[in-house]
Amino acid sequence: MWTVFKMQWLRLFKQPVLMIMFLGLTLVFVYFMGGAQGAQNITVPTYSDELSSEELDRWIDRLNEEDTFQFVESDYETVFDDIRMNETAFALGLTENNYEFLIGREDMEIATLIQYVDQIFTTEMRLQDVEDRFDLEDITIRNFIEVETVSRSAAVSSGDRSQLGVVVGMSLYFSIFSILFLMINLVEEKESGTWNRLIFSPLTKTRIYMGQLSHYLLAGTFQIALAFFILRYLVGIEMGTNYLEMGVIIISFVFAIVSLGMLLMGLIKSPQQLQVVIPIVTTSMAMLGGAFWPLEVVSNRLLLFIGNLMPIKYGIDAMTDTILHDQTLSQLLTPISVLLLMGIVFMGIGINLIERVSEN
Amino acid sequence: MLETKNLTKAFKKKTVVSEVNIYLEKGESVGLLGPNGAGKSTTISMISTLLPPTSGEVWFNGQNALKESQGLRKVMGVVPQEIALYEELSAYENMKFFGKVYGLRGKELESRITHVLDLIGLTDRKKDAVNTYSGGMKRRINIGVTLLHEPEILIMDEPTVGIDPQSRNYILDMIKTLNKEKGITVLYTSHYMEEVEKLCDRVYIMDHGEIIASGTNEELKSILSNEETIQIDVHTLSMGFQDNLLHHSSIRKVTEEGLGYRVIAPKGEDLLSEVFELAKQTHTKITGVSIQTPSLEDVFLHLTGRKLRD
Ligand SMILES: Nc1ncnc2c1ncn2[C@@H]1O[C@H](COP(=O)(O)OP(=O)(O)OP(=O)(O)O)[C@@H](O)[C@H]1O
Ligand SMILES: [Mg+2]
Repeated sequence: MWTVFKMQWLRLFKQPVLMIMFLGLTLVFVYFMGGAQGAQNITVPTYSDELSSEELDRWIDRLNEEDTFQFVESDYETVFDDIRMNETAFALGLTENNYEFLIGREDMEIATLIQYVDQIFTTEMRLQDVEDRFDLEDITIRNFIEVETVSRSAAVSSGDRSQLGVVVGMSLYFSIFSILFLMINLVEEKESGTWNRLIFSPLTKTRIYMGQLSHYLLAGTFQIALAFFILRYLVGIEMGTNYLEMGVIIISFVFAIVSLGMLLMGLIKSPQQLQVVIPIVTTSMAMLGGAFWPLEVVSNRLLLFIGNLMPIKYGIDAMTDTILHDQTLSQLLTPISVLLLMGIVFMGIGINLIERVSEN
Repeated sequence: MLETKNLTKAFKKKTVVSEVNIYLEKGESVGLLGPNGAGKSTTISMISTLLPPTSGEVWFNGQNALKESQGLRKVMGVVPQEIALYEELSAYENMKFFGKVYGLRGKELESRITHVLDLIGLTDRKKDAVNTYSGGMKRRINIGVTLLHEPEILIMDEPTVGIDPQSRNYILDMIKTLNKEKGITVLYTSHYMEEVEKLCDRVYIMDHGEIIASGTNEELKSILSNEETIQIDVHTLSMGFQDNLLHHSSIRKVTEEGLGYRVIAPKGEDLLSEVFELAKQTHTKITGVSIQTPSLEDVFLHLTGRKLRD
């Protein structure tokens, strides 16, 4: 089994096109995500007529402690001109005890920005307030307040959810692409006859399948993990810290997709046809399953019903739930079991079809 | 050693192999000869436990090889009709992989690879990807991969198809050596009768899914012992002359062969003068006549009325 498994990796590394697809798609996608998404590192010009420049600096430093937005120092005139010329969508003005927003045009990010600034401000103000009263207990108070901020950030709006849903959805969409394209290798083995060489060797069929499948499973898992890693550390999208949960979801999802691949291979025998069918299947599945836009915007009952049959929907749901709501394995039991169940069903039918085809 | 019992395969009710009974003794070299579509590959797939038969059995050393396939699989080497290799990988990488599949490891694997590469004459190209090889080289590595685990029984499906005579002879000599010196049992499939004649102790002739004749080369040719083959070369082919030949009472079969005709007729009859007469009638100029001992090709022609290849 390991021999077959290792062979698949060797083959992957020898196929530059596949390799590029495999890693390149991830990178390209993340690049686009980084660009289109934009929520990360949005620059917010910040000005103040009342505060001294040291005070303004202090506030900006405080606001920049989390890297969701990039606050930069500016002055009222510049900001006003920029907004008039439509070069900036909004700006933050600070006063002694309060803040204001200059808003030039409607922008998706404003709600998040307001929420964020409000949170920082309230925290700071309260901190200040408490400090003023009890000079001595500075450290304990700070800790107390910080605990509170954590729980605040866990309260998430539905906007965050759909946005994250699309980021996750797109990652999964590209991973399906790679996995299924990678699996064309199996059909090619059947065509070239190397599959037959394995069948009449002393290796059992189970081991051959296990070797092949574990390769696709690991490759798929690796790709998704890589995408998330880049999104988290290079783009800066919050991915939560539930690594175990994420791991289990990713593996269940990849299993469902690999099984789906087996089903496709059972139905379609030629690599050329598969190259046409895979993009169609993948894209329509991603659309229906809510990878491109949140399913909340869909009202057609039939489409929603079909959406419920798409593995990608459960992948997205489970991942956003664990990232945003800190859901643990026991709370994620439903989507995970649905994924595993789909996997088992697809795999069963798929292998049967593949075997039937070869015996005719 | 290996034996099939009424081996039959039907694809969607179309029977392509019908009640085939063949056997191989240890150390024998046996040919399976038949035209395109005769069912040779299908028969071989069933023997090599790749394709379950519709009915019938395969026995190997007293074991039902379809139920207990491991015994046969361990000692059998199959050379598929197509180039069944990872073509983007090198010969060495392919050999290493398939060697491991047969449980070979480490030093032993390396020394076998070295040995086989030497045998198939590809040592200096071992690092190159197989898809950069010539047709003949691909055929050689396709066989080489099968030899790594030193099979006791070698099943080959048209291993020389579509290559130049030089590579072909190289391969045939190699197989002959393996058979005669190493005592490897060989089942050799082909539609080239001269290969089978050269290589095999015994031959099965297959057509339309059935074995229509079997025996040693001599036995098979003795089917034609009462007949002889006359090759008549002409200046230009002539339908009239061909018709005349066909309608001659003692000529059994006429086929076009090169720039001329191949005629099978009973031995002893003095046909030649009549042939010249027939040629004259149709203004055909004969450029050469030769009487030949029958080949397996003629046997096939005799049995089926068709040529092995068109
Ligand atoms: N999987 C299959 N499904 C349906 N028909 C098949 C299948 N495999 C082979 N056949 C048919 O069985 C017949 C015998 O095929 P086979 O490949 O065994 O012939 P062959 O003697 O090996 O010919 P060749 O010399 O061309 O290799 C052919 O008519 C072929 O069309
Ligand atoms: Mg064949």
